[in-house]
Amino acid sequence: MVGRAPIWIIFVVGIVGCLWIIPIIGIVATSLQTTDSIARGWWHFGENEFSLQAWYTVWQTYPLAGSLWVSIKITLAATALTMVTAPAAAYVFHYLRFPMRRLWLIIIINAFVLPQQVVIIPLFQLWREVGLLDNMAAVVIPFVGLSYAWAVFLIKSFLEDFPKELIEAARIDGCGPIRTFTQVVLPNLISPIAACGILQFLWCWNTLLLPMLFLRSDISLTVLLARIAGTYDPNLDQQAVAAIVTALIPLAIFLLFQKQFAAGNRVSSGGKE
Amino acid sequence: MAQVELKGVSKRYGSVEVIRDLDLVVEDGSFTVLVGPSGCGKSTLLRMVAGLETVSDGTLEIAGQKANDLDPVARGVAMVFQNYALYPHMTVARNIGFALKIAGNDKAEVEARVRQAADVLQITHLLERKPANLSGGQRQRVAIGRAIVRNPQVFLFDEPLSNLDAELRVSMRVELARLHQQIKATMLYVTHDQTEAMTLADKIVVMRDGKIEQTGTPEQLYGDPNNSFVAGFIGSPRMNFLPAQAEGGKLRLVSGVELPCPPALAGPVSVGIRPEHMVPQDGRTHSLPVTIDMVEYLGGTRYLYGRLADEAPVAVEARERVDIRPGETIDVTFNDRDVMLFDASGTRIRSATHNS
Repeated sequence: MVGRAPIWIIFVVGIVGCLWIIPIIGIVATSLQTTDSIARGWWHFGENEFSLQAWYTVWQTYPLAGSLWVSIKITLAATALTMVTAPAAAYVFHYLRFPMRRLWLIIIINAFVLPQQVVIIPLFQLWREVGLLDNMAAVVIPFVGLSYAWAVFLIKSFLEDFPKELIEAARIDGCGPIRTFTQVVLPNLISPIAACGILQFLWCWNTLLLPMLFLRSDISLTVLLARIAGTYDPNLDQQAVAAIVTALIPLAIFLLFQKQFAAGNRVSSGGKE
Repeated sequence: MAQVELKGVSKRYGSVEVIRDLDLVVEDGSFTVLVGPSGCGKSTLLRMVAGLETVSDGTLEIAGQKANDLDPVARGVAMVFQNYALYPHMTVARNIGFALKIAGNDKAEVEARVRQAADVLQITHLLERKPANLSGGQRQRVAIGRAIVRNPQVFLFDEPLSNLDAELRVSMRVELARLHQQIKATMLYVTHDQTEAMTLADKIVVMRDGKIEQTGTPEQLYGDPNNSFVAGFIGSPRMNFLPAQAEGGKLRLVSGVELPCPPALAGPVSVGIRPEHMVPQDGRTHSLPVTIDMVEYLGGTRYLYGRLADEAPVAVEARERVDIRPGETIDVTFNDRDVMLFDASGTRIRSATHNS
């Protein structure tokens, strides 16, 4: 079934791969070179001087480790909450009947069209009122809330193909709605939940706007990255350092969980298909 | 063990009435088969007994207790689904023991009962496997195991054999019959396959359009159907219906064949004769010329499919080794006592002369 790929495919894919990797080489090189060398262009490897000065400066001047920890905390909290609550919401909307079910669903899914920028001002006022400014929750709550639009939609569309008989069998076996969800539905939703988790993680990790507005003392990595770019001096080498640190975690996540992106999306109840 | 009784039961989805004012008693310990064409409401009826569908009107009683609003688990029913509905993330043992675990039995008890059920179905060696690694027949056994482990009052089967291949279907049929002998529970079984109904049932319920057409033993339905629908549905190949004209105590069929009939009868009627009652030979009082289109050879017997002079289709069973080829016209005869008469609306006309 799997034949050998023709030689030209390897060739083309190789070239595309090389093109894609150039910016990464560039940013690593930039972080390791002196300011003068960067001005000449990072690709002049022969003449450029290398130094660890930028890494040292960033580590000394900015709370890099602290920001990394803040970013990890915020992102993990927001991702975990989405991974737990979005499947539950999708299950409720898909299998249970209650008044105004459709309307609620439409409202939640339609948050899709709502850009973050629209919510920041009312949210800022709200957080100021309740005293949540400069608190992690001020970022985590909107992260989770804004993710529902696509997360509930993604898992609910997966449930469209979920065999109805399994739910019925669970009912006959004596499961109520909660047991049906935790014992029968949830174990079979691993791949869409993982996909949700990865997307949510990457999105939260890379977001700048909300943490920049709502956090003061403990800032996330993206905010730090923005601060490094000085007003008079671009600090390209230091920015490169921060960018590398910021990109490492999502890269690791992606490498660890890449299988979940390609995982089969079907649950079978055992019949011959 | 329990009796299931439906009194004036209806089921409506909005304005669509799927089941209309239906009365049925499924006797304690009986193997009752609901049979009918697709869309006749048989599955809906089963699902109402299971508690997966609500009862719109009327009363459903299980073991003498009103069960309309009971949860499925409180009804003491177990169900086997058409596509087995095994939980894909659990092993066979956990699938079978799931209901017991939910009911709060302790681990040792669950294990013992799972093992016992597995022994009955000879699937002990599969207990640690996942459903994905089982064949169709093995999955079916696991699904049945999941039902019997609970010692339910009533077993419900929703076309459990229709996903199996032909050979396996026959052997599972035998096993189901054996299982019923062994555990003597009330079983309610839905199928569209009349062969399954005939071979398994103590009692067959033939349904059409949300109503019961006739209830009875397989022999009663085959030998004494109430109408042309039941007569046509039970028996394979289906009964031949030949158009005829009744007039003055005589039935006129095509090709000048005449049969006696009650003198009061007049107008168009339908003459029903089963293929196995039609014999390819002439020399009797009424022989019908049939032009053969197709011959189906089944080893022990063969079916001849052809047309009468007026183009009405006819199936004839030929047990003897006769050499008949498509295109030939042969004479076919039958016994008067094997003939059933139906009026224009399909209702059986019973009379002294034509009752078997």
